[in-house]
Amino acid sequence: MSQQALRHGAAPVAIRSAAWYLPEHTLPITDVRTLDETERATRDALGIDTVRADDRLSSVTLAERAARRALEQTGLDARDLGALVMVESRVQETFLSSEATRLQHRLGADNATTFSVGGLGCVSITPALLTARGLLAADPALDHVLVVHGSKPAAALRYRHPVTVNGDGGQALLLSRGGRTRVLDIAQLTNGRYWDLFHIDYRDRPTAMWREQCTEPRTYSFRLAMETRNRLSAMLSDLLRRNGIGRGDVAGFVSQNLSAGSFTFLEDSLDIELLPACRENLRQYGHLGPNDVFLNLRTALDRKELAPGDLAVLINVSPVAAWSLLLVETGSQEDTA
Amino acid sequence: MNDITSQITGFLSMALRRQVEPDDDYFAQGLADSLFALELVTFVESRFALTVEVEDLDLDSFRTANRVTEFVRRKIAAPEWGEAHAEGS
Repeated sequence: MSQQALRHGAAPVAIRSAAWYLPEHTLPITDVRTLDETERATRDALGIDTVRADDRLSSVTLAERAARRALEQTGLDARDLGALVMVESRVQETFLSSEATRLQHRLGADNATTFSVGGLGCVSITPALLTARGLLAADPALDHVLVVHGSKPAAALRYRHPVTVNGDGGQALLLSRGGRTRVLDIAQLTNGRYWDLFHIDYRDRPTAMWREQCTEPRTYSFRLAMETRNRLSAMLSDLLRRNGIGRGDVAGFVSQNLSAGSFTFLEDSLDIELLPACRENLRQYGHLGPNDVFLNLRTALDRKELAPGDLAVLINVSPVAAWSLLLVETGSQEDTA
Repeated sequence: MNDITSQITGFLSMALRRQVEPDDDYFAQGLADSLFALELVTFVESRFALTVEVEDLDLDSFRTANRVTEFVRRKIAAPEWGEAHAEGS
């Protein structure tokens, strides 16, 4: 296929470097607290063996450590960043303050246009990429955008019934116009009907009692699940069509890491097979929110499940509800180290 | 039991590994998760040659075999452009 057919007019955005920081401490899934026997049984069937967890590290610290690695890999000084886009933490440590400018200060990214994006749970990596693409397209003088996120659970309990277990981890993607790993197309769709399907009540209780709750479990397991099938299926068809490619041109599909059941659901819904790296990372790290899909992409490259130059589709779903597909052309491992 | 309902209860009994009667609410009984929902909707689509659209995703239409039967009959009877525009725009 021609590069012209793939671009379909979208401004170029590529990953110059990508880095992760995962805390050393490993927490066995059996040590993740649940509230009753039903939750324990669901937790043990998620396909997660361990998560990385360090309660001493904040979201900002996780993001900072990943950011430093991404900058080191390219030799870029933080002062040369044109923009610093932070995918917002699930919960800020303090209100009114800015985690984005805190990170800017820690990194010394003094010249970077700095702000946070979010509102879409795990899918929030997609508005960050849209933002980076827009900045790079709009300002010829701006060459590098650093997109970062520190993933920590929002509630005291790491287990979100009946969905997943949240781990800790930071991610940083250094984006520019050129690079071998290119984000060729971005598709995103939201349906505000589900805005409050999962939430945490916090105003009237101590943080130890914060809990991620599904307000309508049947809506989650039926309506949203089936809407996800229909939405993603239509989005995938459209993504492939507008890029002039077919399913056979996609070397691999990657999704976020929620549970073994969620992988099966996606595979059956879309008639695809996810790359094994997804199940491997789910088993080791649990759910890392917006960081999952690019971590899985990197692992797939490391394990040679994808080769340089392959096309991959990255799938993200959030119960807020948001759906996103990213069409990526993979680069060499050196570029995504 | 009519033919549509018997096909549906047959599928449900197999999928849920227990005898399912036409008015059993398997969602209320806590037997249904998203994978089961996918199996059920896929079965209905393939067996009765119809498409379940986003607009059709009302849990009340799928919570018992009799409700699914009513849904299938509505879909089969509806013209191709469906009944979504019945209330006007």
